[in-house]
Amino acid sequence: MAAAGPSVFLLMVNGQVESAQFPEYDDLYCKYCFVYGQDWAPTAGLEEGISQITSKSQDVRQALVWNFPIDVTFKSTNPYGWPQIVLSVYGPDVFGNDVVRGYGAVHVPFSPGRHKRTIPMFVPESASTLQKFTSWFMGRRPEYTDPKVVAQGEGREGENTETEIPRVARLWLCPAQLTLFCPQ
Amino acid sequence: MVSEKPHLGSQREPMEDDPDPDTRPLSMTTRRGPRSLPPIPSASRTGFAEFSMRERMREKLQAARSKAESALLQETPTPRPRRLQSPSKKELETEFGTEPGREVQRTQQEDDSQSYSRVKFRDSVRKIRSKPPVPPGFPSAEEAYNFFTFNFDPEPEESAEKPKARNRDGTNQEEEEGEEEEPPVQEGVNKMDEEELLNDKDAEDFLLGLDHAAGDLVAVGPADYKGVHARLQEKEILFVPSRLTVPAYKKLPENVQPRYLEDEGLYIGARPEVPRLTQNTVENRLLVQDPGRKWFGDDGRILALPNPTKPFPSRPPVLAQERDMKVELETLYKKAVRYVHRSKHMIGSGDSPGNFQLDIDISGLIFTHHPCFSREHVLAAKLAQLYDQYLARRQRSKATFLTDKLQALRNAVQTGLDPAKTHITQKAIKEYKSEIRQTRKLRDAEQEKDRILLKTIIKVWKEMKSLREFQRFTNTPLKLVLRKEKVDQKADEEAYEAEIQAEISELLEEHLEEYEQKMEEYRTAYQQWKAWKKAQRAKKKKKKQAVEEHLDEEAEEPYLGEDPVKPVPPEPTDRTAVEQQVRERAAQGRKKPGEPTLVPELSLAGSVTPNDQCPRAEVLRREDVKRRSVYVKVIFNEKEVSRTNSRPLGADFRVHFGQIFNLQIVNWPESLTLQVYETVGHSGTTLLAEVFLPVPETTTLTGRAPIEEVEFSSNQHVTLDHEGVGSGVPFSFEADGSNQLVLMTSGKVSNSVAWAVGENGIPLIPPLSQQNLGFRSALKRADAISSIGTSGLTDMKKLAKWAAESKLDPNDPNNAPLMQLISVATSGESYVPDFFRLEQLQQEFNFVSDEELNRSKRFRLLHLRSQEVPEFRNYKQIPAYDREIMEKVFQDYEKRLRDRNVIETKDHIDTHRAIVAKYLQQVRESVVNRFLIAKHHFLLTDLIVEEEVPNISSEGSGILGLSLFKLAEQKRPLRPRRKGRKKVTAQNLSDGDIKLLVNIIRAYDIPVRKPAASKFQQPSRSSRTFSEKHAASPATHSPSPSADYPVGQVLVRPFVEVSFQRTICHTTTAEGPNPSWNEELELPFRAPHGDYSTTSLQSVKDDVFINIFDEVLYDVLEDDRERGSGIHTRIERHWLGCVKIPFSTIYFQARIDGTFKIDIPPVLLGYSKERNVITERGFDSVRSLSEGSYITLFITIEPQLVPGESVREKFDSQEDEKLLQATEKFQAECALKFPNRQCLTTVIDITGKTVFVTRYLKPLNPAQELLNACPNNPQATAELLARYVSLIPFLPDTVSFAGICDLWSTSDQFLDLLAGDEEEHAVLLCNYFLSLGKKAWLVMGNAIPEGQTAYVLTREQSHYLIWNPCSGHFYGQFDTFCPLKSVGCLIGPDNIWFNIQRYDSPLRINFDVTKPKLWKSFFSRSLPYPGLSSVQPEELIYQRTDKAAAAELQDRIEKILKEKIMDWRPRHLTRWNRYCTSTLRHFLPLLENSQGNVEDDHRAELLKQLGDYRFSGFPLHMPYSELKPLIEAVYSTGVHNIDVPNVEFALAVYIHPYPKNVLSVWIYVASLIRNR
Repeated sequence: MAAAGPSVFLLMVNGQVESAQFPEYDDLYCKYCFVYGQDWAPTAGLEEGISQITSKSQDVRQALVWNFPIDVTFKSTNPYGWPQIVLSVYGPDVFGNDVVRGYGAVHVPFSPGRHKRTIPMFVPESASTLQKFTSWFMGRRPEYTDPKVVAQGEGREGENTETEIPRVARLWLCPAQLTLFCPQ
Repeated sequence: MVSEKPHLGSQREPMEDDPDPDTRPLSMTTRRGPRSLPPIPSASRTGFAEFSMRERMREKLQAARSKAESALLQETPTPRPRRLQSPSKKELETEFGTEPGREVQRTQQEDDSQSYSRVKFRDSVRKIRSKPPVPPGFPSAEEAYNFFTFNFDPEPEESAEKPKARNRDGTNQEEEEGEEEEPPVQEGVNKMDEEELLNDKDAEDFLLGLDHAAGDLVAVGPADYKGVHARLQEKEILFVPSRLTVPAYKKLPENVQPRYLEDEGLYIGARPEVPRLTQNTVENRLLVQDPGRKWFGDDGRILALPNPTKPFPSRPPVLAQERDMKVELETLYKKAVRYVHRSKHMIGSGDSPGNFQLDIDISGLIFTHHPCFSREHVLAAKLAQLYDQYLARRQRSKATFLTDKLQALRNAVQTGLDPAKTHITQKAIKEYKSEIRQTRKLRDAEQEKDRILLKTIIKVWKEMKSLREFQRFTNTPLKLVLRKEKVDQKADEEAYEAEIQAEISELLEEHLEEYEQKMEEYRTAYQQWKAWKKAQRAKKKKKKQAVEEHLDEEAEEPYLGEDPVKPVPPEPTDRTAVEQQVRERAAQGRKKPGEPTLVPELSLAGSVTPNDQCPRAEVLRREDVKRRSVYVKVIFNEKEVSRTNSRPLGADFRVHFGQIFNLQIVNWPESLTLQVYETVGHSGTTLLAEVFLPVPETTTLTGRAPIEEVEFSSNQHVTLDHEGVGSGVPFSFEADGSNQLVLMTSGKVSNSVAWAVGENGIPLIPPLSQQNLGFRSALKRADAISSIGTSGLTDMKKLAKWAAESKLDPNDPNNAPLMQLISVATSGESYVPDFFRLEQLQQEFNFVSDEELNRSKRFRLLHLRSQEVPEFRNYKQIPAYDREIMEKVFQDYEKRLRDRNVIETKDHIDTHRAIVAKYLQQVRESVVNRFLIAKHHFLLTDLIVEEEVPNISSEGSGILGLSLFKLAEQKRPLRPRRKGRKKVTAQNLSDGDIKLLVNIIRAYDIPVRKPAASKFQQPSRSSRTFSEKHAASPATHSPSPSADYPVGQVLVRPFVEVSFQRTICHTTTAEGPNPSWNEELELPFRAPHGDYSTTSLQSVKDDVFINIFDEVLYDVLEDDRERGSGIHTRIERHWLGCVKIPFSTIYFQARIDGTFKIDIPPVLLGYSKERNVITERGFDSVRSLSEGSYITLFITIEPQLVPGESVREKFDSQEDEKLLQATEKFQAECALKFPNRQCLTTVIDITGKTVFVTRYLKPLNPAQELLNACPNNPQATAELLARYVSLIPFLPDTVSFAGICDLWSTSDQFLDLLAGDEEEHAVLLCNYFLSLGKKAWLVMGNAIPEGQTAYVLTREQSHYLIWNPCSGHFYGQFDTFCPLKSVGCLIGPDNIWFNIQRYDSPLRINFDVTKPKLWKSFFSRSLPYPGLSSVQPEELIYQRTDKAAAAELQDRIEKILKEKIMDWRPRHLTRWNRYCTSTLRHFLPLLENSQGNVEDDHRAELLKQLGDYRFSGFPLHMPYSELKPLIEAVYSTGVHNIDVPNVEFALAVYIHPYPKNVLSVWIYVASLIRNR
């Protein structure tokens, strides 16, 4: 084994983006991607995905159900930089422009088994009221250059000028089943 | 009062000295004076009158008494008697020995009762006295009556006392009274003050009440006399202990010798200091008092604690007194309850039934033997078992522990032998030694076991391998890897040797001891023998005499015992023999020194041979295995409760169930059994084995229960007709059937049984009462581990064990810390250390020592990576184990660290440049550190994409303005323009994300082929160009200048090849000298170390080479007859020229769009320029200067990268504050008008300070050598200076300094560093021109491809010239091919002029700075020039460059380049044509001198000399900075790509040294093909 290369451990994640609660919005879809450290590398599965558009359920829950599967395997030599799943939700605004409705990130659970995670979602806010209006009008809301920044600490202090408003939104990620094993 | 009564009575009772025995019964009954009747001396004489008198008297007394009582109650509500009691008692004790005389009267019985009664009495007396106001001296009526009616006893005292003690109750009282009367003072001394006072009062009372004279009192007191008898009696009672020393035998039991523990080596603490006399007294007293001798120790002394002070305060036991009884300590009465016996299988009605749950997790099953095992499986199981054993042993590491112990023991002996601190007795040392012996033996045994185990593992593995080889298939994926752990040979050998030496010396000592012993024996034996001999001799003598005397005595003669043999002295031990022995043993049991430690690692990495490659029997076996399936029944209390699914048996004989059964139970489980069943095919199932599981402890709960493996085995006999070995059947590995093995089906069930946890976290366990407590507790007592838990066993335990084994004296203070540690560790109590630590938990978290951590390669790698050390910044997948990290990973880094101060001349060839490179490196590092913080600083825009604030007026981003117009734009305009792209921050990029797009549009004036071949060469069929004959494309637009050029022939077939980072792309081939390609090439970009951060991208030094080649087709057909049937041509490409664009330029410009001059070598054999094209162009006077070929390019990076922002940092300055304000104002004004034009007022110097820019411009002398070159021609001098400046290597600041900070170095710094970017070049050139007396300015503007740059503008007589300082070229103002495209400002030595003209192109502006309408000057009338001093030096000093060094460098470069070319041609032979090389070498200096205008002569000469060769080659010219650019340049020409078999190469290098170590390098590369 030693001759074959560095020993690695594998992290198998499978689960699904279950549903979301965005009471104000409808017809949303979501993207997921993983952010991980330098010692990590995906070995199988998709690290990025984009879901179907879903409509709100007709009942009181008004849940947006995607049940969008996630299945990816990572290998790593170092727990540092444990993968995080980054979700971003998009949907049409009043004028039909595709705008971002929320970003959120959560670490892949550390222990094997079924885990259910609720991720609070947020979007960056415009820097000024005028910009807020124009962005609404033009359908170009402020968004992150890369959704992966929500999983990173670096550079976030630059967002001091901008407020992040947490939406009353909940996103279920379940179940992230992971298997850890170390060959040798 | 009432409660006191019996007490008093009882106290009185034993009064000894009662003088009148008659009164005794009375006193017993009456008890107390004031209450009782007066004593009747003789009852018979009592008359009626007397009675009535008495009656009356009694009444009065009664009244008085009650009054007195009430008064008393008022007076003394507190328990006064108690207070009085204790002092008197004490005094009595103290008086005991000293006043024997008094003691007779007042024995210990005199206590509170007496004094109390006295007080009572006195009080009552007082009351009585105050009541009848009888005048003193006159008796009352009663008294009178009494006086006359009583029958008086004859004693005079009686009569005298009578009035005062009317109520006397007995003689006892009377006597006491008398006693009191007599010595009131004496009593007062002994009693407390209060009592004294009372006594005084009493005395007064008596005096007052009775009016007695003092003399009367003395007279009536009884004589203070004690009889001899009484005194003797008293002496008997008293005991005075002797002060003499008690002999030891008295203190010890009979026939016991005193034992001194100290001498036996036990620690005895120091005894407290007690005077000898006191000790003796106490001893004597104890001996008399308590004959049991329990107070004496073994040594005959009184037992004493070393320190009588108790370390902890302790409360004395609470005395069981009713008053002190605390409520909580009171015993409560509880009614007895009948014990309800509950059956352990029944749940009482009180408990909620059936809520208990046992979770049985059956995770899987592994067969360690199964009938279907093949032979290999058997071996594999064995191997796995051995490996497990090995792992377990390694974890326990008994050998290491024993080695450590041995070491510790040896140390102990060493310290013990040291006389300085020899508290360890000889005995202990002896014990240690025996211990050492034992431990050593154990250690050796352990080591040998380890070794044997390892050997067995290897043996089994070898067997397995050979079996696999033999059967030619593999059944198991098992693979054993033996990893060698290198050991330090020397240290190991030393340790080995030391160990052996230690062992030898110990053995020798042992032997010596034995020898001594034997010797002793021998000596005694010898003595005996000698004595016997003597006796014998004496006897013989005697015998002789005796023989003569009595012969019959002879019979007695024979000695009773046999003759003592003369003892043989024992042989001393031989050292060499011992050594031999030890070494032999060591060689056997231990690994050899320096031999690497073998660490076996078992993995399942092997591959199993697929079925179709196996023999039939094996296939059958595998199929049989497939048919089998296994399930497990769970039997609870002998009833099946559930069973697992039936799972097929895997090829590896593992069955995975992974099922958890929740048993809802009501009873405490009696038994828990798993039954393993096997099903073969569809036939019946067989019970393989039963596994009994222990009922879990109440502490094992679901989730925390570990998975345990329980072994099972079955005794079934199975014989199979395939490869499977069967069960219970003998089989053998040997071919001859020997060594038979019989294996039974066996395996392990991994399972865990635990109690479930309810929803509210309460474990669902039946109550404890149901458990068989007795059994469990007994179990716990027997097994410490089960009661403590294995986790409690740490090294401390071992230590404690060791301490116990090595018999450390636990009382010795020297061992106290150790003992405390052990006790703390074992009992789990914390202790207070006698030191203070700031980070007290740090030690606990340090799982390894710091040194170990630093030694770890992995940690080091991680650390370096987090520090962002360039080599490791983007290191991916740091291996998980230290041993997987190769040592070479650090080599580069360590080398760099080492070389930081060492000048390495290998890469840099000449030392000066090496020094400069080092210096630059160091400056760079410091600057990098400075900007490290700024690097991680992101702007909001880096992270968030947001539309800017709408602004109609602004041109680019006005959303509302322009974007509305955009809606009206055509979808597909006729003239499409490039659209701006989204910028991408370089933070989430990775390899392959970035591409370099090179759009090659067209080229102008490519050199065309000369028809020289026909002129000089022998016409040969094979060398005729293919195109000459077959190409038919007409080049009409290029009229042929040469007569013998055939019309319609292709002049040149150029194509462009772009090479970047060794990736090469090329366009299609176009035709003619003005080709148009219009092609886009895409080249991938890789950042160094995969780091795509801005800093890293900035420092990319790679260049994009755009090479133009001519494609030449040669007909290689040897035979003309074949021409009809096939075409055989060889394509050759001839390099025509190149354009080199640094990546950094592209990165900062984002896009490069324009026409560039192609850098064509001065000599291009076989090609010539068509000069007639040039005549059409611009200005006549500069026409010839700007001749050349041009190419139009568009280069960009996809996606567009955001170049790093310049460092947002304010630098300090030494400039005047006013001036700085003015510069800010000036810049703001300029930016307002023309935001795109560059305006420069202040720059940052190399020390990081802001400097006003004009300070850099000052006339500076060029080297005299250059001025002398052509003294008559100022233009030529200027050109030479420009050439000199351009020969200084170009190095952008962004490359050398991270972050965009444009540092300006002064000209002398620039010449010292020999590297700089446009500003430095321009400043130096401008300064030279100024010193030549020219009018010169620095032009700040935009140029292609550099972007924002600095050029130099000079004013000649009638026109302006624009000089490119980096290339040395100059252009007229109206030259269309001038790379300078816009002018922002001009900087002179004393002013700055900003361009406020409408246009900024040099073609369209006026350079007359005196016109304020066109140029806005910084210093004007309002702000006059203050006369700023220059930062430049007074003059530049030039050293002549060492010619010899240059020559040496030249040779080295040539050698290296030749090697490189050979490296690039790994599959071909590279031949060097020495003749041609030497020719070229001679030719190169000419080129330098004439700067490339010798083409024709050279060609002629070359052709003359190399007539037989077809020659293609060209000289390259470049400034010398380091070797790498040279190599790159040679590589980019592609000369080495020729793979004609008989090709030869020539390479010549010439270095022309200029002053100040500026070197001009010429490289001539050529390929030669012999014409045959």
